[in-house]
Amino acid sequence: MSDTSTVNTESAFKDQKQKMAISARNINVVYATPTGDIPAVRDVDIDLPKGSITGIIGESGSGKSTLIMAIMNAVTKPGKITSGSVILNGENDILQLSSEKQRKIRGKEIGFVFQAAQNSLNPLRRIGQQILDLGRAHEVNDLRELIKYAKRLLIRLGLDADRVLASYQHELSGGMRQRVGIMFSLVLNANIVFLDESTTALDMLSQASVLEIIRELQKEKNLTIAFVSHDIGVIADLSERIEIFYAGEIVEEGKTSEVLASPKHPYTKGLIKAIPKISGDIDAAEPLKGSSPDYRTFKQKGCLFYDRCPIRTNSCQDSRPELNITNRDHKVACFRVGANDRD
Amino acid sequence: MTTPGTAKSVHTFTPKSYNGASFWKAAWRSITRKTSRIIGFAIIVLFTLMAIFGPYLYSSHLPINTNAIYAPISWKYPLGTDFEGTSNLALIITGARYVLLAAALGALFTVIFGTVLGLIAGYFVGWSDSIIMRITDFFLTIPSFPLLVVLSTVWNFGHPLAMGFILGITSWGGMARAVRSQTLSLRERGFVEAARGLGLSPFHILFREILPNVSSYIGMNLLTSITGCIYAEVGLFFLGVVPFHVNNWGVMLNMAVFSAGAMSSPDALPYLLSPLLALLLLTLGIVLFLDAVDEMFNPRLREDV
Amino acid sequence: MIEIKNLQKFFQIKAKFSNHKTVHAVRNVNLAIPSGGALCLIGESGCGKTTIGRMLCGMENPSSGSIIIDGQDISKLKRGARAKLLQKVQLIHQDPYQALNPTHTIEQMMKATLKKMAKQKKKDADWIRQRMDELLKLVGLDPETILFKYPHMLSGGQRQRVIIARALTVEPEMLIADEVVSMIDVSLRLGILKLLRYLRERHNISILFITHDIASARYLGNDTELYVVYKGMVIERGRTERVIRSPQHPYTQALLSAMPILKGIEKPGKDRFVITSQFRQSEEEPRGCLFADRCPFKQSICDEKRPELVHKDDAYHACFFPKVRQVAAESI
Repeated sequence: MSDTSTVNTESAFKDQKQKMAISARNINVVYATPTGDIPAVRDVDIDLPKGSITGIIGESGSGKSTLIMAIMNAVTKPGKITSGSVILNGENDILQLSSEKQRKIRGKEIGFVFQAAQNSLNPLRRIGQQILDLGRAHEVNDLRELIKYAKRLLIRLGLDADRVLASYQHELSGGMRQRVGIMFSLVLNANIVFLDESTTALDMLSQASVLEIIRELQKEKNLTIAFVSHDIGVIADLSERIEIFYAGEIVEEGKTSEVLASPKHPYTKGLIKAIPKISGDIDAAEPLKGSSPDYRTFKQKGCLFYDRCPIRTNSCQDSRPELNITNRDHKVACFRVGANDRD
Repeated sequence: MTTPGTAKSVHTFTPKSYNGASFWKAAWRSITRKTSRIIGFAIIVLFTLMAIFGPYLYSSHLPINTNAIYAPISWKYPLGTDFEGTSNLALIITGARYVLLAAALGALFTVIFGTVLGLIAGYFVGWSDSIIMRITDFFLTIPSFPLLVVLSTVWNFGHPLAMGFILGITSWGGMARAVRSQTLSLRERGFVEAARGLGLSPFHILFREILPNVSSYIGMNLLTSITGCIYAEVGLFFLGVVPFHVNNWGVMLNMAVFSAGAMSSPDALPYLLSPLLALLLLTLGIVLFLDAVDEMFNPRLREDV
Repeated sequence: MIEIKNLQKFFQIKAKFSNHKTVHAVRNVNLAIPSGGALCLIGESGCGKTTIGRMLCGMENPSSGSIIIDGQDISKLKRGARAKLLQKVQLIHQDPYQALNPTHTIEQMMKATLKKMAKQKKKDADWIRQRMDELLKLVGLDPETILFKYPHMLSGGQRQRVIIARALTVEPEMLIADEVVSMIDVSLRLGILKLLRYLRERHNISILFITHDIASARYLGNDTELYVVYKGMVIERGRTERVIRSPQHPYTQALLSAMPILKGIEKPGKDRFVITSQFRQSEEEPRGCLFADRCPFKQSICDEKRPELVHKDDAYHACFFPKVRQVAAESI
């Protein structure tokens, strides 16, 4: 009897793992700087369920891009992954694989676009040639088919495909380059796609159409998408689940509409109040107090949001808060959940 | 009640002026960062001292010792002697002044002329650019070496200033072109446009806004110009094209090869090798130091307090 | 205090086969901004809004039309007087990093213009130091921690504030803010917007706010005007809140529809729609409405005649079939 129950829980556990496209645990990335070691990503656990769109919000420098790079083991010096495991599709820990295998995974299994996508294209080769390079690097058999697919993607993204394939990077505008970057992340048919600030150079109409295409493609191919940005509007519109990132840690996570409708962490609350919106009273908006964390903040023993927090107490300085569930899958890392400014 | 004296500014805030201090501090820090740079710096300092004080260490006519012609290396003659018995070391030390001074002047001339013309051409564009560039092209196409040979028949290069001037005149072209192209791209930058909009004078824009951004290139070019000039003048003297008026390294090389048959007879070898060694050492010093120059002028490497 | 009438700008672009193509970048634009007022130009990239801003501060010359600052038409003035007048209008760029000289500390940068002002006003070094202090505090920065730094040591928001402080050294009457918050994190934009509003309301400095993000335009105050620009032409105009809540032109409606919805806080406007076709530099000049090829509500007359900007009920629009549609997101 106990045998069957353990077998059941084991298979249930395995089942759960299978549902996760990416299951990252205990990711720690440290940057070595002249002023000391800065923990850019600290003890982060993150799950990306298959076929979901997860949005990761954080200010520039909060470590959100580093987290994505760490998951792909693409962190460059002076950064270094000091611990963590990333289970891909419930099978292997990709951080333990050889660098050759990791390289194959990047592109084939995980498609990604750097934040500076405009600058990560090779300036000396035409776009079309670079697609062929990518195909050859990943041992794609039918290169012609690859180019055809790339063209279809570009047209869907609203670009003149033939012209773009024949161009060099500097001949394209910033918005065009961002869209080319998105095409690169999708062209090898990866099931998992990471997008880092993929719409910042686009104006409203282009951005709306790109988001629409991402939504369509996600539905068609059941893609798992992780979208990193500082723009809450874009993330709120696109993603079902949201992770709020501050100073290297996840401080709140949950279903998008729920986290935005009833935010629990003071940072999330402040963030929502601080963003320009098309709705609501303009005099109700308040900028966030204090300034972004710097190397001094990281030396603190207690909560990293302490300096800017409107509901802090002395005990918040003693230790770091952990992520705890408030209801269903809505988690917050704060000692004072539920307290008001006036308390 | 406040007296007029104190009423003016109760909180006199004097901002930490980081103008001068930070450049030299940053320069020193970049030099000391790597041992190779320190060595280079030390060599340059050594030769500079040699150039300044060298001739004072010896009498104006170096002693001749007919008994010690082409003497081998010994404690008395650390680098051997020449065809008259004069110590090669003494020759090197006293000859340094001409070589270095001429090269420094030549490099200075190249850099100043090239930079100013490059800045003006690159910033004002239009007809001033065309004129300046035509002149530059003219100078670029003149083969400097034959020109120097021809000029040497009418001009006495006894004074390092004359040599420096001639070297400078023939080599500022490349510098002007490079500075011009950097200026052309810098003038489109936001801060230059902002300076125009704020009503700052073109002089200010050229020399206070654009020039500091080209300074790293200028610094490095200054040093490579010096090496270039040294080789040019030494070469000229070596080839015997320029009449032998003074005592310097190029002359030594010329004498060693053509008069003393140093290529075939081993006795005169120290006489040949001493100037070569001096040249090599100096070039090495400059090259090692060059590494620090880019860092020195890069404000991004000034550390935040 | 600043007015433009019938402003036009044509650009010559070298097309592939050496024929020059003429682009009509700004078409017959009229606008007026009172002292302390704020006017927002909204549109996609390439619509001409930046060109309008650059013409207003003298960085570009109009092909035709007049720019009138404080009652004087600048094209009729001599170079010296013209330069002096144009200095009252300062441009703030989009990229705060490019707009600062990387080899100057903030102090050196502020002193460059303050020295000039001090000479004009016959003031001394103490005045310069005080003014630096004053202006940095005005934009919300602490002089002690900022003056000795180089631009690369500051954050994007700090750089933008420093640039505004620099613009204020010459005591302008108007600031042209060209996409000034586009390169700053969304969570930090409000600070800069509030600063601009403060400069308007307390220091009477007019603001021409150029952006593609309509939401940020709201935060310059309750009495701002919004001009929607499409391919160089103003196609809708009115008080900001009114244009947002009751837009009449399909293009304005498309822009408002395209704004992302904050799930949980906002709900989409009931008439919201999506346009799929892309903005392209047109090959030939269309005979009719400039927006006709992308307009979901177009009718045959739209391809034949071009609608002019007409005044109706306190707002302006350029459309033959204007219809108010509630497309902007609303609070839940």
